[in-house]
Amino acid sequence: MSFWIVIAILAVVAFWAIAVYNGLVAGRNQAHTAWSQIDVQLKRRHDLIPNLVQVVKDAMGYEQETLTKVVQARNAAVAASGNPAAAGPAEAALTQATRGLLGLVESYPNLKANDNVKQLQEELTTTENKIAFARQFYNDSVNAYNNKRQSFPAVLAAASLGFGPIDLFNMPETEREVPKVALR
Amino acid sequence: MAGVTDFVAAQRENRRQTVLLLVALTGIATLVGYMLGWTVEAELSDGVPLWSRFGVVLAGLMAIASVCWSGVSLAFGDSMVLAMAHAREIQKADAPQLYNVVEEMAIAAGVPMPRIMVVEVDALNAFATGTSTANGTIAVTRGLLDTLSRDELQGVVGHEMAHLANLDTRYAVIVGVTVGLIALVCDAILRGRSWSSSSSSSKGDSKGGGVAALLGILLVIVLVLAPLAAKFVQMAVSRQREYLADATSVQFTRNPDGLISALRKLAAKAAPFPGVSRATQHLFIVNPVQTFTKKSSALMATHPDIEDRIARLRNLGA
Repeated sequence: MSFWIVIAILAVVAFWAIAVYNGLVAGRNQAHTAWSQIDVQLKRRHDLIPNLVQVVKDAMGYEQETLTKVVQARNAAVAASGNPAAAGPAEAALTQATRGLLGLVESYPNLKANDNVKQLQEELTTTENKIAFARQFYNDSVNAYNNKRQSFPAVLAAASLGFGPIDLFNMPETEREVPKVALR
Repeated sequence: MAGVTDFVAAQRENRRQTVLLLVALTGIATLVGYMLGWTVEAELSDGVPLWSRFGVVLAGLMAIASVCWSGVSLAFGDSMVLAMAHAREIQKADAPQLYNVVEEMAIAAGVPMPRIMVVEVDALNAFATGTSTANGTIAVTRGLLDTLSRDELQGVVGHEMAHLANLDTRYAVIVGVTVGLIALVCDAILRGRSWSSSSSSSKGDSKGGGVAALLGILLVIVLVLAPLAAKFVQMAVSRQREYLADATSVQFTRNPDGLISALRKLAAKAAPFPGVSRATQHLFIVNPVQTFTKKSSALMATHPDIEDRIARLRNLGA
């Protein structure tokens, strides 16, 4: 009789352990997927910005301080890409510079009317939004995962099973606020 | 980050409620079947057995029918809804901004990109459908696309994306179709019974006939109450989901003003459009059938009052 009780208890514990383990795996995978989404959008922004810079440069015919700032910020962001901790500040700086560029476009009516520019603006706006939303989702996923691995009973075995902590993706200055660069 | 919606919990809750409701609806259908068989057997024979063979057979048939019907609605429900509304699928080139906004909201919700459809009418409305997050569809009307600003469109699409992410859409499809079936069957039996009971009442006043008449009355009561009960449950649940989807939309966009001003425009330009019936009304962001008279029949409404929704959104923003 007591033999079967022991077996039952062991079975319950085993199922519990499996559920906790699977939860950790699912959480880590979700965080990784979310990060790759951010990565896609950041790359897309890196690709879009030179196009817009080129169009603006062609239309104005001379170098502008705003343009060089954007190009510098973009190059710094490209160099920092791949690592959430380093990419955060660089991308935040790029967001600021991009806003300056979009503001510049706003103040030139002939640029604003250009179809090519309009399309680039919509693409850049949506990419900015996607970065913000992907970051939101990534950070929510990472928080959920980190909470899970730090709570009992996962905390007993998480580290030894290779479930390390994951970094949040922080973009100072743009924190909590979706960048508003939309044209009306 | 106060008030974060836990999608996993919302989905779990929806699965549980879907199962509960399907069990309840199948139960209602089975009960109706048994009552019908029992009454018929009581009329045909003099003795009235509690364990009616007719009843068991009919109950079984009704149970099988309602399970099959749920399966059919799961498989074809969303394509039926889309066909009824005359929605047409679009690509990115057709409406780049709409496409981008949907993509943004899909990223915010962490769900796969749904199909996007446009309904070519002037009314301002939008709906989502789909039996899983992987095969969702978001449809908006042409009027909505032409009237709303980017931020407002984002709020509306966020609301529909929340329905998809919470699996509200699957629930809505199944419930809509199953409630419809129960109403249909009860209605058909009621019509059939009133005809057959008048013809059998001439049979005489045997003991079996008296009990049969009593059973007949009981059956009528069940038949009248069953669809009503099913409907009440559907409506109450539907209203809660609208509030939740509004809150989730704001959680995605971090911009309550977009959805608030969109709702104002939607309320001001509410217009019915073809292809929408009471069977599908609960899928839309604002009720496409009724006009927005304040608190009119609040108990049976699929959608909460728009002013109520705006007030709740204000509270979120504060």
